[in-house]
Amino acid sequence: MRILIVEDEPDLARTLGRAFGEDGYAVDVAGTGADALLKASFVAYDTIVLDVRLPGGDGFGVLAELRARGGRMPVLMLTARDGLEDKVRGLNAGADDYLTKPFALGELLARVRALIRRASSDPRPELTAGAVVLDTSARVVRRDGAVVELTAREYAILELLARRKGSLVTRSAIYDHVYDEHEDTLSNVIDVHIASLRRKLGRDVIQTRRGHGYIIDG
Amino acid sequence: MAERAVRSLRTRLLAWYVGTSLLVLATVGVAVCWVTWQSRVSAVDAELRVQARRVSGAVRARPGGAFDVELPSDATAYFQQARPRTYYAVWTIRGRLVDQSRPDLGLPAAPVSGARTRGASREVIVGDGELTVLVGRQIDDVREELWSLAGTMALAGTGAMALALLCAWLVASRALAPVQRISETARRMAGGELSARVAVDRTESELGQVADALNLAFDRLHEALERQSRFTADASHELRTPVAMLSAEVDWVLMRERSAAEYREALEACSRVAARMRGLVQSLLILARADSGELSVSRERVRLDLVIDQAVESLRQLSLDRCVRVESAMMPVTVEGDSERLLQLVTNLVLNAVVYSPPDGLVRVALTLEGNEATVRVTDRGIGIEADDLPRIFDRFYRCTSARTCEPGGAGLGLAIAKWIVDAHHGAIACTSEPGCGTEFVVRLPAHQAAGRVPGTGPPPPAPGERAVQGLSRV
Repeated sequence: MRILIVEDEPDLARTLGRAFGEDGYAVDVAGTGADALLKASFVAYDTIVLDVRLPGGDGFGVLAELRARGGRMPVLMLTARDGLEDKVRGLNAGADDYLTKPFALGELLARVRALIRRASSDPRPELTAGAVVLDTSARVVRRDGAVVELTAREYAILELLARRKGSLVTRSAIYDHVYDEHEDTLSNVIDVHIASLRRKLGRDVIQTRRGHGYIIDG
Repeated sequence: MAERAVRSLRTRLLAWYVGTSLLVLATVGVAVCWVTWQSRVSAVDAELRVQARRVSGAVRARPGGAFDVELPSDATAYFQQARPRTYYAVWTIRGRLVDQSRPDLGLPAAPVSGARTRGASREVIVGDGELTVLVGRQIDDVREELWSLAGTMALAGTGAMALALLCAWLVASRALAPVQRISETARRMAGGELSARVAVDRTESELGQVADALNLAFDRLHEALERQSRFTADASHELRTPVAMLSAEVDWVLMRERSAAEYREALEACSRVAARMRGLVQSLLILARADSGELSVSRERVRLDLVIDQAVESLRQLSLDRCVRVESAMMPVTVEGDSERLLQLVTNLVLNAVVYSPPDGLVRVALTLEGNEATVRVTDRGIGIEADDLPRIFDRFYRCTSARTCEPGGAGLGLAIAKWIVDAHHGAIACTSEPGCGTEFVVRLPAHQAAGRVPGTGPPPPAPGERAVQGLSRV
């Protein structure tokens, strides 16, 4: 899952980026509204964490512009204002959730996880792919009840495919959702991860559509 | 409630009104009755005098010293009428009774002449040298007439009083209705409805003026409360962000075991946040105390050039870190004021200049005596301020877009504090700026009179120390 953090305080943005990174997300950071809009026009983020107070236009404006461009990703707004007006304004402008500063980091991570879950075709916290079960809150994968050890990247790819169970996920989509803007890697690295996943989970879970991408059949 | 009705202004007004009116009416009534009584009695007296003359004229002296009274027929009729009962008596000058119309008069010995009221009768006594004639008349008819007059007047007075009372009640209610409205509005205001205002109909009336004055006071109060609540909201907003940073940093580092380098990095970040909060809290305290009038500005002679030196010195490390050169050119100028606040003022201005300068930038600080004004110019070649932002840079918590992009740590209080300090010293602060080229702040303070260039007259400036960084914050 790839998320964008829009936050003008560099220290806070860095901390959030590291926290989400350790939680298995590919994280991009934008310091201004313009930067955020630019990044969102290139990448289909799974979630955007948007600070309300930004230099060069506030978060409400960024959100409105995102929605006007047809962006459908979940947006969680972070704000230092807890007035009801601001909450209503944010939600009316198309935000999916709202968190007031200061917040507990665990709550932010949980809410983003919930937003991504709700936006996927299967909103349950447990995803299944044949005999494989993903517990997305604990980030644990089991096959026939036995825990399977996966690397963070393998887990991310598996979760992305499981969330879009039944639909084809292209290699570039996987690349977009699993790697952040600072990782410059060859896209055939994904094939390596898929091969490793098949080795650990069995060949039948992930199907290859030659020349197109991968799918977990529903 | 009953006690309140007794004490209410309307009731008291009416009580006074009724009391006064009653007094006036009663006085007039008594006077009218008195005058009527007097005129009736004098009419009776005149009538009795006429009769007395007739009686006296009807007395015939008979031989042997005796007298006889032979009244004419109309006079006889007068003295025989049933109502009012009349009577006469005639004495000789020696006091011997000559004649009396009734035997049961019970008259005393011959009285002196004049008019008198005896019992229910009025009597007139006339003496003509030989005889004394008394003519009397019962006056209960006059008394009855007078009582009836008094009764009529009391009745009419009561009626008029009732009507007047009703009118007065209505007028008082009407006149005092605005008072009701005013107190109602004040109660609503006190209950937290800050936009409540008294509707003013006629400004020229006394109550209209009261309402105007109250509305003005309400406006001021509302404004002050709003400013206060905005300040509180802004302050809490400014504090939330660093607290969020602190808690996120700590939450992250505690999520799992970290390396020593990671712990160190997290603690450094926490320390940065703490320093920022320290500065913010200092600034907030200064402004809050300034607002409540608790923060006083002392008046002593201060060598402004030494203060500026100290400010530049306290920012030396920061300017070295940012590769910004700070140059100062100063005349020795003495002003009257608070050295600590002036140090803060100059520090805030120079700090802004340094922070918004590009690396290898240059900040100039100049102090000159222009006329009778000490003039401090702080000039940088930094990012500048957009024309749209210029009018608002001294507002609390206001931060220009460019400033926020380049220096996210500031809260927008430094210049508000600077402005407060300049105002407290009866000076003026102005800013000119060209975006992308630089900014100049000019502070003018009244120089200490005739002592502008005398060195060493002021008290020594405060010892250099950490005070210099108190209350710092950026544009």
